[in-house]
Amino acid sequence: MTERSTGSTYDVVLVGVGGQGVLTIGRLMAEAALDADLGVNFYPTKGMAQRGGGVKVQVRIGRGIVGPQIPEGRADLVVAMERSEALKGVTCVRPGGEFLLYGHVWEPTQVMLGKADYPAEEQVRELILAAGARLRYLDPDGLHSCDGARMPANIYVLGAAVGGTDLGRVLDPEAVLDLVRRRWERHAALNEAAFGAGLEAMSHGP
Amino acid sequence: MDRNGKPDAHKRAKLSEGAKNQLITGNEAVALGALRAGVRVVTGYPGTPSSGALGSLLQMDAEESRHFEWSTNEKIAFDIAAGTAWAGQRAMCTMKMSGLNVASDSVFSIAHSGVNGGLVIYVADDPGAHAGMVEQDSRGYARMMDLPMVEPMTVAEAYEMVILAFELSERIGSPVFVRSVTSIANSHAAVMVDEPVAPEDREPILERDIAKYTKAGSAIAQAQHHDVIRRLRQAGEAMREMGLNDLRLAHEPGGVGIISAGVVGAYLDEAFALLEDAVPQWRQPSVLRVRGTNPFPAEEARRLFARCDTIVVLEELEPHLERQAWVEARRSDFGGRIVGKLDGTFERVGEYGVGHVVRGVSEALGLEEPRAMERGAVYEKADRLTAARPITVCAGCPHRGTFLAINRALRQRKLHRDEVMVTGDIGCTILGMNPPFETVWNEVSMGASIGLAQGYVYSGLKTPVIATIGDSTFFHGGIPGLINAVQHQVDLTVIIMDNYWTAMTGMQTNPGTQATFQPSGNRRIDLAELIPAMGVEHFFVIDPFQLEEATTTVADALRLPGVKVVLARQECAIQAQRRGLRAGLVAVDAELCTACRRCITVTGCPSLSLDDETVSIDQGLCYGCSLCAQVCPFEAIEIKREGHP
Repeated sequence: MTERSTGSTYDVVLVGVGGQGVLTIGRLMAEAALDADLGVNFYPTKGMAQRGGGVKVQVRIGRGIVGPQIPEGRADLVVAMERSEALKGVTCVRPGGEFLLYGHVWEPTQVMLGKADYPAEEQVRELILAAGARLRYLDPDGLHSCDGARMPANIYVLGAAVGGTDLGRVLDPEAVLDLVRRRWERHAALNEAAFGAGLEAMSHGP
Repeated sequence: MDRNGKPDAHKRAKLSEGAKNQLITGNEAVALGALRAGVRVVTGYPGTPSSGALGSLLQMDAEESRHFEWSTNEKIAFDIAAGTAWAGQRAMCTMKMSGLNVASDSVFSIAHSGVNGGLVIYVADDPGAHAGMVEQDSRGYARMMDLPMVEPMTVAEAYEMVILAFELSERIGSPVFVRSVTSIANSHAAVMVDEPVAPEDREPILERDIAKYTKAGSAIAQAQHHDVIRRLRQAGEAMREMGLNDLRLAHEPGGVGIISAGVVGAYLDEAFALLEDAVPQWRQPSVLRVRGTNPFPAEEARRLFARCDTIVVLEELEPHLERQAWVEARRSDFGGRIVGKLDGTFERVGEYGVGHVVRGVSEALGLEEPRAMERGAVYEKADRLTAARPITVCAGCPHRGTFLAINRALRQRKLHRDEVMVTGDIGCTILGMNPPFETVWNEVSMGASIGLAQGYVYSGLKTPVIATIGDSTFFHGGIPGLINAVQHQVDLTVIIMDNYWTAMTGMQTNPGTQATFQPSGNRRIDLAELIPAMGVEHFFVIDPFQLEEATTTVADALRLPGVKVVLARQECAIQAQRRGLRAGLVAVDAELCTACRRCITVTGCPSLSLDDETVSIDQGLCYGCSLCAQVCPFEAIEIKREGHP
């Protein structure tokens, strides 16, 4: 059974690792929603660590009074910035919803030392599909350098999210890009390239 | 409340032309609400999830007549705010739930005395224990202290609630709690923020009245006990008049009635929409959304009982409203069921969401709860395959060197880690509990490490006992413990990890922060001067980035009798890096690296990873502390440059 998003509401869950810039792109989505006069609640949760811990962000768009937590299995879109953390998004996405998987791998130390397991990409894909989601894969290799500087991965993912999923029907990709430009004026060109690369990567279809 | 997101409180507030719609957090809403209410003094001690309130005020340009500060601990912070309010001015004090435990001694006393100027206590609870402390419900304090407590349902309401709390406080002459939870405090949402209002120009009150300002004798104390009870009753009447608690009765009698507390009220409509799809002949329940959680809105509850067959109480953590609902049910001859925690439907643990509303209403209607279909097995597998990410200290964290020095010192003394008690304390220093260090054994409350250690010494242990504590925690609650240990001449070693900042809660200043970074007009208190003055005879200072010397110093300290204090000093790497500093520059010599992984297994530094043939260092993360180089058996990590941390 495919459940449609109800009316003009749109719920996004972002998952990743602290330090990847997950909170930043969640906040940008919320600002874009506010600029478009849509009700919004943006709820970031992270553990105690500054870096390296799991991060989850919930962005609820288009509701008036709204509880911060998206119910299990009801998110219209999950954006996962790390392969293992993506599994935390499996319980969030609604059947028929979209799942944007950025295939970056950030192994915890115990995995690096061969003392703990890490999920294979195939396992992650399988579970996303089993949850009934439409999988959109974003290749980390699409992220390249621009004038010798490394593109920010989170802006690349943001470009893919607004350019290649239904989020683009709720938030105008051009308006989101404009927010990015204004946020970091000194890095406008680099960010625009990253955003464009994400958009471009999605235009090839799933 | 209307469905477009405007809480009732908005109807009362007349917005000026300068009002702006802003995307802010619940904590910022509290701060801005206090400015709007003309607050004069705001104090607090950092604690997740409350820190953002005072933190945001300290970053604003405020009128000179206002004063904001991070105080040494929550009790001091509250005492300052209370003094200001006794003198007739408006004051607010901010803290997390654990901080209220610390402040509670004074809060009880001030509750019984009452206040002159408005006094608001902002306390943020953490259902779900995201920040890893006791999952504590501060509403219990409001009940025990007979103090009014209001709780916003949304971020926007947090702004209004603080303004309302100041009005209420001055109307009845009592401190008022504004209680929030993590999901409100840390959520960002659009709030109509009005221009700040400068503190009123009030002449300070100096009133000599021992019957009000002391507890001298039972006549005074008992008269004050009557007063506090009376004030709470007046608060209830004022809340009813203000329409704080929102009762919506269904048109038809019978059916389900819901009592929700604070944030839970924001999930009701969403849950009803789901139930409407799933339940044949769905009837919209009657609803009482409670924002004034103390005193209990008994009159509204009785009207709900009179209309409904079954009551569902939806509140996170403890069944405070539910217990009082039972009392009112008995008083009003309500014979129906009350679904909640007391009948076992819900646990007293964790956060609530839409699912809890659905379950509660389904239980009340005698229906099978609409399950998330057959996805349970998928969810369970996803959960099982997720790689664990145990939290550790950041790249460049000086605590890493201190934990390693303690572990090595024990080995030098031929002691096994499993036979030496190292007590822990609150803050980043607790991360020594995790691999690869596994140095610290326990975590209790601010400053508890030293007293606990003294207790272990008296237990008859034959091995040395060590206490570990951070700088801010030591100032907050560790000093009395150290004085006690010195007075009683206890054989223990206290290791104070001084990184100059209150780091874990987001880099607030504390009394030991470097003079350059103290707020203007503040003076730094140097632990290196303070500790010897406390009668500590064996006092050492170490640099945690100099592993060998640090190890030797700790090992030597463990041999001495009496109280030894080792002050491990190095600034928090995150803060230093924000100013562009590095402790140095290190690089792997691929020729010499055997990929033995010792640097990774010993330091657990996040900037180290294993490439195909060698270890590699992420120079974007690395702070150049060089601990990896110091533990490498092959000298394969070069220290290329010393820095100036």
